[in-house]
Amino acid sequence: MTPDLLKLPHYREQSPEVAARFERLRKRPIVMEVRALTKRFSTPRGEVTALDAVSFSVHRREFMCVIGASGCGKSTLARLLAGLETPTSGEALLDGRPVRGPGPDRGMVFQGYTLFPWLTVKGNVMFGPRMSGRSGPAAEQDARQWIDLVGLSRFENAYPHQLSGGMKQRVAIARALANRPRVLLMDEPFGALDAQTRSQMQHYLLQIWKNVDVTIVFITHDLDEAVYLADRILVLDPHPGRVREVVEVPVPRPRSPDQFLTPPFLSVRRHLDTLIHPPSEKQAQRDLPIVRLTEVGDDVE
Amino acid sequence: MRSILSGWFKVREDLPPGRRTLLTVLSFLIPIGLWCFVSYTPWIWHPEIKLQISAEREGVTTVYVAGDRLSREFFPEFVAAVRAENDTIRAARDSGSVADTSARSARRRNLKILRQLAPVGLAHGWMTRDSSTDDAAIYRLWRDLATGARVATRPALTAENLEIVRDNWAILERHSPTFAYGQLPTEPLLKLVPQGVPANPVYLPAPHEVLAAGWHDFTHQPEDGSPSMGDRVATSIRIIFLGFVISCAVGVPLGILCGTFDTFSRLFEPFIDFFRYLPAPTFSTLLVAIFLAHDAPKIALVFVGTFFQMVLVVAKTTRLLDRSLLEAAQTLGARPRQLISRVVVPGILPDLYNDLRILLGWAWTWLVIAELIGVKTGLTEFIETQGRFRNFDRVFPVIILIGIIGFTTDQILAWLRGVFFPWTGHGGPASRAVARGLVWLPSTIIESARDRAEAMHNRASSP
Repeated sequence: MTPDLLKLPHYREQSPEVAARFERLRKRPIVMEVRALTKRFSTPRGEVTALDAVSFSVHRREFMCVIGASGCGKSTLARLLAGLETPTSGEALLDGRPVRGPGPDRGMVFQGYTLFPWLTVKGNVMFGPRMSGRSGPAAEQDARQWIDLVGLSRFENAYPHQLSGGMKQRVAIARALANRPRVLLMDEPFGALDAQTRSQMQHYLLQIWKNVDVTIVFITHDLDEAVYLADRILVLDPHPGRVREVVEVPVPRPRSPDQFLTPPFLSVRRHLDTLIHPPSEKQAQRDLPIVRLTEVGDDVE
Repeated sequence: MRSILSGWFKVREDLPPGRRTLLTVLSFLIPIGLWCFVSYTPWIWHPEIKLQISAEREGVTTVYVAGDRLSREFFPEFVAAVRAENDTIRAARDSGSVADTSARSARRRNLKILRQLAPVGLAHGWMTRDSSTDDAAIYRLWRDLATGARVATRPALTAENLEIVRDNWAILERHSPTFAYGQLPTEPLLKLVPQGVPANPVYLPAPHEVLAAGWHDFTHQPEDGSPSMGDRVATSIRIIFLGFVISCAVGVPLGILCGTFDTFSRLFEPFIDFFRYLPAPTFSTLLVAIFLAHDAPKIALVFVGTFFQMVLVVAKTTRLLDRSLLEAAQTLGARPRQLISRVVVPGILPDLYNDLRILLGWAWTWLVIAELIGVKTGLTEFIETQGRFRNFDRVFPVIILIGIIGFTTDQILAWLRGVFFPWTGHGGPASRAVARGLVWLPSTIIESARDRAEAMHNRASSP
């Protein structure tokens, strides 16, 4: 017995503006193309297929989110795209060239910040350019610009241990962007932050994305976050990780937190919910076999 | 009771700063206090009697001299034996019988009795160590003590011994007022009864004795031409420093390589793991054979003692570096060479620094053994020599000195950690200020040099 649900439009229904936007998006060149990417790990309990023939493509300056239940290989996908893992078969192409190992053209932001604790904010942001031999006043000026962009100019000489979680993640974003990557891969970057900081960071990220020529692949397990940020959402099935669907988000841009309760948002949100938590699983949430331990009449519901 | 104890025993909670300081001070004061308590409370422990006046017994070859320590149980036996001899002499006098010894041996025996007072003269400063066998002075001492011109206070003569002094002087005076060997009486004198004070064993001198001996040894150039304490400290520190620096110069890079590359780890670590179980001192004769005398084998022993541990510890520290930092650096375009110089080395530096601090402590242990091999040198040689003479009051200051050098070095290094590694968040504002001044110039130079090298490398590698 389910309570009355709101009458919502179908999640595929798009307003003319949104439809036109997706039309334009599809015409943009493909930056990242993934072809039948498969990854198997050998574990003591035998071989585990983390990803099974995953294929999709990301257009220039698209914001794509990847969601899925835990264990669906979201993180493995991000690591494969970054070149930190080698695929068992299939390939990922960046601007038509296959990915072989990590490189500065694919920036990555990890959940665990991974700032270099011995470098200041500025030192962290300049790390990438330094690796390619760019240093000196021009590079420093450049780094300041990125620090400004994430709103941390006052902290450019601070060490990471002096920053809050949200600030650290902003530095990590600036550090990745300072390399001018084609794609920014973000692996649950806001997962460790509290709810308030997370929504603030989502807001920052959208602003950065709007102002910087970068394509974002964003891994998350938070459905609201995915709908709020993404143009399209790649939904992965677990065990083994397979593409379930690529959902176009019908929520118009520019996005704001007010849209969380609009019909398009709720429609796609509900659809994702049924994909990630299928009805069969819902039934499993049965009542616990607990003996009543309170007095008769002492009810809370 | 509850209010006094409250707040001192909270599980896994820090104490307020005032209490911490108090406890730190107490942690040193308690052992020192215990030492004083045991040393200066005569009825606590003191299992021995330190002789102030000794006596030779007839027919017993074991001779005790003033300064020797007898067990508390044996001392009364010793005293009783001497008293018994005196009683025999008195009885013989009373009965008028004459001892059937030659005049020569009788005089020699009496001279020995005279010399029983020499330690008393020494203790009072009436005689010097050089004149302690000056029999004329000893003779005058007998006179003065008998007539009361001088009164012994440390040790005070017992009434029994004072009686004996007067008794003997009466006989001596009759023969000659001043010393002349030929004039010594041939009739047997009474022996002074042994006197002593409760004492702790020789291996636990009292604090004031240790302080006095230490002050003397640290401030006086030794007369026998052996090196001064300052020179000894310098020698010891030189050996430990050279041994440790060579050990670091080889061990740290090798450890980092082992921690970074599995190939190096598999190639070196099993053997090193085996080798570190071979006790370094067992190589001492071998090292002397290889490096001959002087400092080289000693430096080599400190090296052998620290090197193998160092490689393993540094490798472990390197492996503990967060992998994700390496991955982040890779996604930022770092090449393998840069991963080591720009991520691994700076990343492990604070922990490496702590590892080396601990290993430096070990190096002191090996130093003590190193200084004993080949030609003995340095502080250990002093400890060895003085210990063999049982001069433990001179040994303790040197042991404590080694402790102080090690402890203060470590404290300074611990403080400097905040200076060198401001990003670890340790260290107060003072160390941060010093850090900025100390680190800024060299780090700027190193940074710019590395940047230039990398820029050149990139130009060279780009087509």
